[in-house]
Amino acid sequence: MTLSTINITDRDHQIAKLSAIAIALSLVEFFFPSPIPGVKPGIANIIILYTIFKFDLRMAIWVSIIRVFVTSIILGSFLSPTFFLSLSGALFSLLLLIIFRNLSPKYFSLISFSLIASLAHIIGQFFIVRLWIIPHNGIFYLLPIFIVSAFIFGLVTALVTNKLLQLNSKK
Amino acid sequence: MIKKILQSIKIIKIGDWFIIILFCALIIISTKFLWNLPQGKYLEIYKNNEILATYSLNQKITKIIDGEKGETKITIDNGKVRFSSAPCAKKYCIHQGWINKANQIIICIPNKISISILGGKKNYDSINY
Repeated sequence: MTLSTINITDRDHQIAKLSAIAIALSLVEFFFPSPIPGVKPGIANIIILYTIFKFDLRMAIWVSIIRVFVTSIILGSFLSPTFFLSLSGALFSLLLLIIFRNLSPKYFSLISFSLIASLAHIIGQFFIVRLWIIPHNGIFYLLPIFIVSAFIFGLVTALVTNKLLQLNSKK
Repeated sequence: MIKKILQSIKIIKIGDWFIIILFCALIIISTKFLWNLPQGKYLEIYKNNEILATYSLNQKITKIIDGEKGETKITIDNGKVRFSSAPCAKKYCIHQGWINKANQIIICIPNKISISILGGKKNYDSINY
C-alpha cells in the first residue's frame, strides 16, 4: 500500500483563507435585498482585487473560481442558471484581467483593473442571458442600467480595496 | 470629508482617467443607441377607452375635446403633443408635459380622456411589464 501525501504549502493556506472571506461576503450579499433587481454590488470582488495586488493574479484566479463554486453549493444553486451567470461573469472578468495584466502600474492603478473587471463581469453575464436564459433582443434595453451600475460599483470596489491595502501596509 | 475625497482622487493616475473617460463614453453611446425609441407619427385620442379621433403629429393645432367633466385642450406642435388645459383637480395630465415617442401615453382619469402616440413600427412590448 502506498501512502500518498499532499504537500500543503503556505500558499494553499492563503488561498483558503481568502476564499473563505470571499465566500462569506458573497453570502452576506445574497441575504441583503438589492434595490434594483439584477443589480448587485459584488462585494466579494474586493477580495479578488486585494488578492491580485497583495499576492498575484494566479492566486486571484484560484480564489475567484473557488468562490463561485462553493457559494453556489452552499446556496443550492449549483449548475442552475444563477451559477452559470456567476461563473461566466467571473471567468470573463478574469480573462480580461489576464489580457490586461501587463498594463504599466506607473499609469494605471487598481481603479483601471476594477473598472475593466466589472465591465467584463457584466458582459460575460449578458452573453449567457442573451444566448440562453432570455433569447430576446429586448433585454438590450436594460444594458445601460447594468453598465452604469458596473461603473459605480467598480469604482467603489477599487476605493475600498485601496483603503484595505493601505491599512495592511501600515502594519 | 472633502479632504478624504481629494485624497481618493489623488490615487487616480493618468491611465485611470483614460479608462474612466472611455467608460463614460460607453455609457453615453449605449444609452443613445439602446434607448433610442422611434419618433411617433400619429396621435390617437381616446374617450372612455374608445377611439375618438386620429391626427397626424405633423401639424400645429389645438384640439378641444369634450370629456366627462368638461373641455380638455390638446395641443399638437410638429411632432410632439401635450394636454394644455383640463378640468381635472390635480392636473397630472398637464404636468406630464410634451410626449413625442411612439407608444407613449398620457391618461386623464377624471375627464376620461387619454392620448397615445403611434409610431412607424411596434416597440418592444414584452419588456414593459
